[in-house]
Amino acid sequence: MSIQYKTISELRSMLDAKKISSKEIVEETFNLIERNSDLNAFITLNKDAAIAKSIEIENSSVKSSLHGIPIAQKDLFCTKDLRTTCGSNILSNFIPPYSATVIENLENAGCISVGKTNMDEFAMGSSNETSFFGGVVNPWGDKLVPGGSSGGSASAVAAGIVPAATGTDTGGSIRQPASLCGITGLKPTYGRISRWGMIAFASSLDQAGPMARTAEDCAIMLNEMCSHDTKDTTSLSEDIPDFTKELNASIKGLKIGIVKEFDMSKLDDNVVSIFEESKKHYESLGAEFVEVSLPNISLSVPAYYVVAPAECSSNLSRFDGVKFGQRSENPINLEELYIKTRSEGFGDEVKRRILIGSYVLSAGFYDAYYKKAQQVRRLIKNDFDSAFKEVDVIMSPTTRGAAFKAGSKGSDPIQMYLEDLFTIPANLAGLPAMSIPNGMVDNKPIGLQLIGNFLDEKRILQVAHSFQKSTDWHLKTPEGNKLS
Amino acid sequence: MDKKTVANIAHLSRLKLNNENEDRITSDLENIIKFVDQLNDVNVEDIAPLTSPLEKTAKTRSDEVTARNRKDVFLDRAPKSNEDYFLVPRVVE
Amino acid sequence: MSWQTVIGLEIHVQLSTKSKLFSGGSTGFGAEPNTHVDLIDMGLPGVLPVANKEAFLKAIRFGLATNAVINQTSTFDRKNYFYPDLPKGYQITQMALPIVGEGSIKIEVDGVEKIINITRAHLEEDAGKSIHDLFEGETGVDLNRAGTPLLEIVSEPEISNAKEAVAYFKAIRQLVTFLDICDGNMAQGSMRCDVNVSIKKRDDEKLGTRAEIKNINSFKFIERAINHEVERQTRIIESGGSVVQETRLYDSVKNETRSMRSKEEANDYRYFPCPDLLPVVITDEELSLVKDNLPELPDQKEKRYIADNSLDAAEAKIIASSKTMASMFEEACLKTDDSKLVANWLVGDVSALLNKDGIDIDESRLTPSNFAKMVERISDNTISGKIAKSVLEDIWDSGSDVDEIIQDKGLVQIQDESLLEEIGQKIIDTNPNQVEAFKNGKDKLFGFFVGQVMKETQGKANPKSVNEILRKLLS
Repeated sequence: MSIQYKTISELRSMLDAKKISSKEIVEETFNLIERNSDLNAFITLNKDAAIAKSIEIENSSVKSSLHGIPIAQKDLFCTKDLRTTCGSNILSNFIPPYSATVIENLENAGCISVGKTNMDEFAMGSSNETSFFGGVVNPWGDKLVPGGSSGGSASAVAAGIVPAATGTDTGGSIRQPASLCGITGLKPTYGRISRWGMIAFASSLDQAGPMARTAEDCAIMLNEMCSHDTKDTTSLSEDIPDFTKELNASIKGLKIGIVKEFDMSKLDDNVVSIFEESKKHYESLGAEFVEVSLPNISLSVPAYYVVAPAECSSNLSRFDGVKFGQRSENPINLEELYIKTRSEGFGDEVKRRILIGSYVLSAGFYDAYYKKAQQVRRLIKNDFDSAFKEVDVIMSPTTRGAAFKAGSKGSDPIQMYLEDLFTIPANLAGLPAMSIPNGMVDNKPIGLQLIGNFLDEKRILQVAHSFQKSTDWHLKTPEGNKLS
Repeated sequence: MDKKTVANIAHLSRLKLNNENEDRITSDLENIIKFVDQLNDVNVEDIAPLTSPLEKTAKTRSDEVTARNRKDVFLDRAPKSNEDYFLVPRVVE
Repeated sequence: MSWQTVIGLEIHVQLSTKSKLFSGGSTGFGAEPNTHVDLIDMGLPGVLPVANKEAFLKAIRFGLATNAVINQTSTFDRKNYFYPDLPKGYQITQMALPIVGEGSIKIEVDGVEKIINITRAHLEEDAGKSIHDLFEGETGVDLNRAGTPLLEIVSEPEISNAKEAVAYFKAIRQLVTFLDICDGNMAQGSMRCDVNVSIKKRDDEKLGTRAEIKNINSFKFIERAINHEVERQTRIIESGGSVVQETRLYDSVKNETRSMRSKEEANDYRYFPCPDLLPVVITDEELSLVKDNLPELPDQKEKRYIADNSLDAAEAKIIASSKTMASMFEEACLKTDDSKLVANWLVGDVSALLNKDGIDIDESRLTPSNFAKMVERISDNTISGKIAKSVLEDIWDSGSDVDEIIQDKGLVQIQDESLLEEIGQKIIDTNPNQVEAFKNGKDKLFGFFVGQVMKETQGKANPKSVNEILRKLLS
């Protein structure tokens, strides 16, 4: 029995009805991975352990929400005794001695980790082209990028290999690939999910989240991913609600904010018209639209490209060839050990960001760049705070356009950075945001972004679910699209 | 952003740019810095920097030893080590 | 041309917590290499720091004892540089908002008091240890010490010579040991200091270029390093040169300082707020709890010894100067009402022995409890004061227990009146002439008889009873 394109909820009822065993599900999953190897969605597979766990699970009486459900894990989460590379050469031989809290939470809920998904190196990229292990293909079309940095997770879910995968989002790394691959992805409030065991890119922006076919599955995943973790002092102690409850709540009277300053003229016309259709649809569901002003939003990308590189330049200093990871061949002295190891171990995009980070933090530039950017960041957060006094959620397109061909962005990094125009603000302000499929542009999916208020994941999940109950964009699959 | 500046930050970052990528990366950095210079268009006088989206205070731990000896686990993962130490080329002070 | 020396000290005090500043790794000294290392101390990908509250409370004790500003909200920053024993490639420290702000401490040089102002005292994590001379062509890295909490105490550049620098370091050491926040063990590196030295013309407003001498861990070396460095700088300037700002290393063997190339390079530390650590806040309750439980400090002890134990100022000062000396005094005073006697022993015999060996009381084999027991044996007449002197010397060499020494050497005082009377009578019988002379008024001869009895009893006779008995027999 095929499990391709099935959701968590569908697999759950198949399992409960004994239509299929978790062992069969896992074996079928690895067949799907095999058949879709051209996607290059996985860096490391976890086959033996996965099958072993599926058998163990069949014999156990406990029935937790993800019992026997195959999940793909972004290769940025440390997995005990399973290679974790972060898409980089410098960690291409790294076997963590411990597991990330998110991984433990999901596996304790019974999920079966089938493998580690491909990603932009250290999550730095928007097309998955910076991975040391090669680019990932978007199942919606040959040579199309899946977006990034969680490109492997998005591609694996879009191809129906797994019902859900983990991702991380520092400037859009869950939402942008979700949009380009036609799936649903959620970046929670900063601090909802523990960062323990997540290899840091930009610590004050990084947040893990679920990527799945539906908002409902994202809610199921989120329930298990969140926890109060004493190992991460930025992990929130606020109550964690059951995100699957009240998913069906009506959105009649809901106030949706449209950002005055988001410049639609830079967008693909189809994206604009699809966005307008989605607005109409929400109006038909009883929501009303209000224009809100985020005066400093246009500075999000520049602020981000100071703060993120600054933090990354420091976070990546530990990769020095001394204690773990790769070391360059017989260095003649310590300096050469450092320089060769890091120059051989990191790709160009990572180098660019480390260099920018060192620059904006270096003597004489700190105030002009780093401090300035963090001040602008507060202005942006203040803008959101006042906007959310007037509206319940803020809506925008997730991306400027649909998936593009690998290499088509040219060599100018800024063109790539602007991919994250709509997604970056939520990271700077620490707000929850998700992307749901809301249309197609020449047979390629695009997404709609919903930004919620602090800790208000429940609301955006309701808003997303109400859309998915009454549309079928999220049900479309790339079958037969591959050669287009 | 001239070659000298790039050389300095490259040294601080313990990175070496080779002939192929040096010019490209230097000009990339120039463009990125030009791009982020937009930040100077806004007045941020007496705006406190926001270093974390959580304006909260830290939880701390009590003074207890919870770690166990994992020497072998760590040394096994090291690029170079002997039975006791991580090893690097001799440092002269 | 007379030059003025300007010195500032950065003292690193290892706080005596059980676990590390940001991890549950043990801070125990002398363990097998790399066995006290937690995932966090390794700086593994994905790990996060969690601050140890106790380190803050210990830092606050120091702040209160130096009348310093306590910043109840303090933050952490990252200091970025590469070194093999710095696992993360950055050190977590407190740059912008340290837990302890401006304070001051009193020092004394040749009887002259001086106040040295303290700029700040901040928490930071220690690095690991690099062993350069153990392996051929390689440096070994031991991360046991990585993450150990340090309190870095930064003085104002108000110290004007090597003697003052040593006095300041000693004053800080005395304080942190009394506060029980550091064991003060310099041999184990529990206290180390960096010395900033510069010289300028007397009337110059601005300071000269300074050299920083790193990682000195003994009083002697601080004095020598400073004197050597002052000479070096004077030589340079007087020969028309100029001092370069750099980090130097004191070589105690050659007694010279030399430039540390390895540290010179990374001088742009790119400090920025550590995004993994939110501000740590100390509540008013926590603060007053520390205040209320602040241990008694030397000055207070001195006053109390004078008031309650009727010691004179000089005695009180000596005894209160060291934590060990003070606890010897206080423990012994529980065993006798004669605190004057206790003071005499400490200021007299004990201090004499210390001077003879040129050591610090902490380095001697004498422990407070053993000393107290000795005093007890004197006051319960088990041994005489004279015997006690030899017992003390015995402890000094062997460190053995007082009672064992008394047993093994059979030093118990003879209390038996009849026995003493017998001996006394024997002495009288064998010295008729002296008895004659004594009875004719040569009172001084009484001492002779006492001496004879003592000789006969190898000094074990209780002098008081001997006196009484002889008076009786000779009357």
